[in-house]
Amino acid sequence: MTRIIQGSPVKDIVNTLRQAGGYYITNTARDQSQSDFKNRILLHTDLLAAEERDKAGYFSLEITGGASIHVDILRKQVDPFLKLKKLREKMPNTMFQTLCRGVNLFGYRPYPQNVIRFTVREFAKYVDVWRTFDFLNHIPNMYAVFEEVGTAGKLNEPCICFSTGVEHSNEYYVAKAGEIIDVTGRDITLCIKNHGGLGTPKRIGELVRALKQKYADVPIHYHGHNTDGNDVGRIVEAVRNGASIVDAGDSSFSGFYGPPPVLTVVQTLKEYGYDAVGLDEHAVIATSEVVRDQRKYYDQFESQIKGFQPTVQIHKLPGGAMGSSLEQAAKGGFLDRMPDILHKELPRVQKELGNYWSVTPGSQILWTTAVANVLGGERYGTPSGDLRNLLLGKYGPFPFYRPEEWIYQKVLGDDWQEVLEKEGGVDAIADMDLAHERYALAELLGVEPTDEQLVLYLQHPNDAVEFFKFSEKYGQVYVLTPSIFFRQGGYAVGEKLAFRDHHGKEHMIEVGPSPVNDAGETSVYFNVDHHPSIFNFKAKTAVGKQGEAAILSKEEILDLAKAGDVRSPFSGKIVEITVAEGQEVLIGDRVAIMEAMKMQTPILAEMDGIVTTINAKKGDSLKPGGKILKIDPNE
Amino acid sequence: MKKKILVANRGEIAIRLTRAIQELGFEAVAVYETPDEMSRHIRIADEAILLGDGPRCDYLNIEKIIRAAKKSGACAIHPGYGFLAENPFFAKACESNGIIFIGPTADIILNLGNKVIARNIMAEAGIPMVPGTQNLKQGKGGVAEALDFAAKYGYPIMLKATSGGGGRGIRRIETDVEMKEMIPVARAEALAAFNDDSVFLEKVVVNPKHVEVQILADSHGHTVHLGTRDCSIQRRNQKLIEIAPSMIKNRPLLDEICDTAVKAAKAANYLNAGTVEFLVDKDQNYYFMEINTRVQVEHTVTEMITGIDIVRNQINIAFGKPLSFAQEDVQIRGHAIEVRINAEDPKNDFMPEGGKKVSVYRSTGGFGVRLDGFVYQGYVIPEVYDSLLVKLTVHGFSWEETVGRLKRCLHNFAIRGPKTTIPFYVNIANEKDFVSGDFDTSYIETHPHIFHYDEDASEVGKLARFISQIHYSGENPFAK
Repeated sequence: MTRIIQGSPVKDIVNTLRQAGGYYITNTARDQSQSDFKNRILLHTDLLAAEERDKAGYFSLEITGGASIHVDILRKQVDPFLKLKKLREKMPNTMFQTLCRGVNLFGYRPYPQNVIRFTVREFAKYVDVWRTFDFLNHIPNMYAVFEEVGTAGKLNEPCICFSTGVEHSNEYYVAKAGEIIDVTGRDITLCIKNHGGLGTPKRIGELVRALKQKYADVPIHYHGHNTDGNDVGRIVEAVRNGASIVDAGDSSFSGFYGPPPVLTVVQTLKEYGYDAVGLDEHAVIATSEVVRDQRKYYDQFESQIKGFQPTVQIHKLPGGAMGSSLEQAAKGGFLDRMPDILHKELPRVQKELGNYWSVTPGSQILWTTAVANVLGGERYGTPSGDLRNLLLGKYGPFPFYRPEEWIYQKVLGDDWQEVLEKEGGVDAIADMDLAHERYALAELLGVEPTDEQLVLYLQHPNDAVEFFKFSEKYGQVYVLTPSIFFRQGGYAVGEKLAFRDHHGKEHMIEVGPSPVNDAGETSVYFNVDHHPSIFNFKAKTAVGKQGEAAILSKEEILDLAKAGDVRSPFSGKIVEITVAEGQEVLIGDRVAIMEAMKMQTPILAEMDGIVTTINAKKGDSLKPGGKILKIDPNE
Repeated sequence: MKKKILVANRGEIAIRLTRAIQELGFEAVAVYETPDEMSRHIRIADEAILLGDGPRCDYLNIEKIIRAAKKSGACAIHPGYGFLAENPFFAKACESNGIIFIGPTADIILNLGNKVIARNIMAEAGIPMVPGTQNLKQGKGGVAEALDFAAKYGYPIMLKATSGGGGRGIRRIETDVEMKEMIPVARAEALAAFNDDSVFLEKVVVNPKHVEVQILADSHGHTVHLGTRDCSIQRRNQKLIEIAPSMIKNRPLLDEICDTAVKAAKAANYLNAGTVEFLVDKDQNYYFMEINTRVQVEHTVTEMITGIDIVRNQINIAFGKPLSFAQEDVQIRGHAIEVRINAEDPKNDFMPEGGKKVSVYRSTGGFGVRLDGFVYQGYVIPEVYDSLLVKLTVHGFSWEETVGRLKRCLHNFAIRGPKTTIPFYVNIANEKDFVSGDFDTSYIETHPHIFHYDEDASEVGKLARFISQIHYSGENPFAK
């Protein structure tokens, strides 16, 4: 029984897998966090689990990539690189695995080649296994990542994204695998990426068998989700048909849309005569014991709807998007429309848009379009910019068939053929001037940035800068327990908050009173390491920020827009105000770009006129009906 | 009834003086201006007298201070440093009002305060000096004199105001053109600043070490030195870090400099505490610069390595007592470093941070540590005075131990509200040339990286700030 240790040469890893008498397990902690806890499991919790997880003898720990890079800096306030370094200190043996979206890296749109290569190089210092996919299974979209991972001496794990339906045949997938292997060679692990947890155990077994028949020496890694409650079944069939590695998660944090529990997989397969190679069951159990009592602090991030969703076989939403989709429905007040959206509109849209794979960023396009179609009344009436790009082929060609012409016409306009002719196809994205970007970041930070800071900046310019400034002001907050970090409603007077800082020093904060003076200023009294400290806060501003307004109906918002009062049509964030005060605009001119659910949508002028007042600014989060700007008609 | 001594100063030195006064069994009388009414030196004194609304002008008002002394019945006045400390008219006024001035006589202050007279006294006594001129003649004659001097000794040359001091009224000249241009400018400035437009020249000693010798001279003919100090770490001639003794390895040279300092003091008929300043160049030539006729900010380092209380001795000397020890009783033990912790932003050209409230003040302690400060948590730093908050002086048996102690103490400090020079000193304490004791007056400009540091909040301070945000806002944005 050979455990694979971090740092082994790729050839040795793959040979070990080829000769193994059983199967290996990847602990997909990141995917569990993303699917069932909105990606909010803190490094603090992962560090608690680290020692036992390292002992457990997993093939790898999937702990970075996907949406986690963005959530790390945006909500968890932890540097994704530092996270890997801290975990490595406590986990010297286990390979770390990432999930990379090919040209879209860890984001939602294609990046320039030099940014992709630079990013992969920096992360490859800490990441041993690179699971890379493209939502259109367009293999050229992954070339740059393959190359850089190879150069760094790390393991490539290319994916074939899996779905169901007539087009999704074994022949198709075996051919795709061939396309990949032609580029990467056979010293890889090939992933069947079943992000929705689709298909039956039988179907998965057949696919694995077909792939193994053609490529017997390429180890297969089966990745699934337990959304329908049946992933253990699919895993069993995958292993019985020759898969070398399967994905599972820690039981104390298992939910509905992420991986099934490791132990369940191990116990079931044992009965079938398959052993988990190198796995220490005691450590698997101990991991869950160590972190079990942390789960309560993550309550608020668990799904609004509890229970397995066997209907995933109809709507095909990926496990990683379930939580955020349901959250959006709850916040947007359309939970009651979910049956329509999930079971009628989504399958219909999927079919209409080419039956491609519902995974980032393609899943967001399907979801946004389906929601808009249901809530907006007119199907394809308010297409997102990303849907437009999809139709233009900016992400790559449609895998099976193109959408019907009427959809092109709806989205691109009556001159859609001309537009498609002129703008269609994958753009060669020009390289960025990295020296210039570095300089720009240095200007923003006031110090020379590190390469790692530059990488984060290139992924998410605004959020990265805000995060760097946050860290400068507040220090390394990953050291705080979830009970401190997630506290709502303040701490109790007399409460003692203990933590060990980034440098390893123990501290204690005792919470004191917070009197308010006549001017409305609050003084928060803390005893920090037994020394009194006072933190003064200016009077709270009245509730209701600029740009916020009562939630208006779709019709009301459109009526206002036609009168020159441009309001936010949905809950979202201003990406850019594209006009200035005093500027003349015509109907149909883009006045702002908003983003919701990671999809950008242009806001268009509904009347001719001059922009008089701009109420919202870049970065503002607006509710439906929130004021953006005003247009006055030309006299 | 106890005798009283009036402290004609403010801030940390007022407290320092008050301590010595009270230890000798006197009562200390503080004076203050309105902006200083929250100052701690008032609370520590036995009584306090408001001079006026100031700012600064009342601390400089001889008449008001004499009146305060008389009102309180003080028999002596200690002027500290700055303000009236080196004003011969103040010393004179004390004498003529029958009040003991704790310092040299008015004549000595006058002579040594005039750099040209001082140079003449020293030249006569055979003290080595940087080549220089007498006061330059007015008008064209003076310019011609200056150009002749430049031709003989070469540039760079310092153009100095005769009545200047403390780093003021000095400018460096590199060319003949500049010389012609600057003499009238310097004169006009000197006239405005010191009410005396005389200027003179001195050859510049390139990147020297600044070495000074502490002197004590009583009225019974005894003059002793308390060893050397090095004040090379300066910015624009303002001292930042002072150490004792000098790190020059050549002990016979240091002994010679100390003996020369005693000789210089004797030549000037010096009385009370004073400091003889020298420049030492790369070839270990040393040159007399000036004698400061006051207790200096950095006197603490000498006290640490000798165990001799300079202020106490100043008072005893002023009261006519002989020194209680001889030169051979003075022993130098170990090393001392003093840093001036100022409310300034070193990154922003040491811009003072006056007007800010010290919301957190936590200092240090332990073996070999001395603090001379006056701020407290809640204190609002007045904008109208200097920015010195506290002097940290550390003492150690070896240089290495002393630097380690300095670092430790700087890390112990937590000052919130104003920016301070602490992180800047932390960088210096970690810088290899400083650690190896190798520095001269070019140190700050040749080590620009000491200005690179994170803002001064400690990691726990930052985290506490974060936790206070969550606590205050009630609704936690990170839990949504």
